[in-house]
Amino acid sequence: MSVSDFLIVFGACALTMLACRVLPVFLLKGKQLPETMVRALNFIPPAAFAALVANDLFNPEKIASGDVWSWLAPLLAAIAVMVVGIKTKSLAWCILVGVCALAVLTYGPAFVL
Amino acid sequence: MRKEMLKESFKTALPIMAGYVVLGIPCGILCATAGMDVWMVVLMCALFYSGAGQYMIPNMYLAGNPLGAIIASVSLVNTRQMLYGASLSQFCGTCRKRLAFFFGATVTDESFGVNLARFINGQWSVASALAVNLFSQSAWLLSNVAGALVGSAVSLPTALASFAMTALFICLLCMQKITSANVVAAVSAALGVIVCKLVGLSGPAILVGALIGVGAALAFSLKRGESQDSDIRMGA
Repeated sequence: MSVSDFLIVFGACALTMLACRVLPVFLLKGKQLPETMVRALNFIPPAAFAALVANDLFNPEKIASGDVWSWLAPLLAAIAVMVVGIKTKSLAWCILVGVCALAVLTYGPAFVL
Repeated sequence: MRKEMLKESFKTALPIMAGYVVLGIPCGILCATAGMDVWMVVLMCALFYSGAGQYMIPNMYLAGNPLGAIIASVSLVNTRQMLYGASLSQFCGTCRKRLAFFFGATVTDESFGVNLARFINGQWSVASALAVNLFSQSAWLLSNVAGALVGSAVSLPTALASFAMTALFICLLCMQKITSANVVAAVSAALGVIVCKLVGLSGPAILVGALIGVGAALAFSLKRGESQDSDIRMGA
């Protein structure tokens, strides 16, 4: 990647990122917001995390590829993480169980067969 | 006192840092493969600081996409950050402008979830939250640089590394209060993302999905007409 290409992409992406991160903080900071708005803000965490999880697990190309295990293995690992998450609420345990479960599911079958 | 505070922030940031190390090293390797120098990687980690974005830029560049397409796609994916800023603004009511700026500028998906949980539990300051962000960012920066230095000499299973973040998001989702309105928010957001990706809108899928989730949950809770206690305190 040439220096000029890098500076263009980096500069533009960094600027839009900074605007998205900082503007809402300053526009809403210290304002008395209407009750409905506060209620809507409360729904951001469950909606955002569910959207991120769905985005990671749902991949149309993988499903179309016909390789069922390529999307089923992460889905099964995700269910295991969910059980651990509900039980422990521990980020560290979730990461450990998730990565180990996916490693076993991905590399395990080839190892056994 | 101040040392205690930093220690607490470090402990809070530790799971995020572990995830960023696992994810940052392959990201640095990918950037080196796309022909980026170490200073470019450092600059991106310091001023751009986006996991998804820093994977997308070298990937799309290697695939031969025009610069305009890279910028548009990366920016669209990152629009979801607006939701975090809006949500966290409630806790920045009394803090100084400069502190609010640096705190807002260093929020990520993961640190948003962790800090929000601490804010809601109470006794958490914007300074402590900023420290969590900076610890996380340091881990991200150092592991990216390590990856860029190692270069393409090693190959890591990226799918496995990125699942660390998926696991983190699942845990953050599990930490939400289980109310019927929150379930409506989560289910509609997930369905929104799936529909977006099916019709080919993968760039803004997360933002659109999350907004659908918020909208559906708001409609649901307004219809039920109950005014439950707010989780978020009002700024002064």
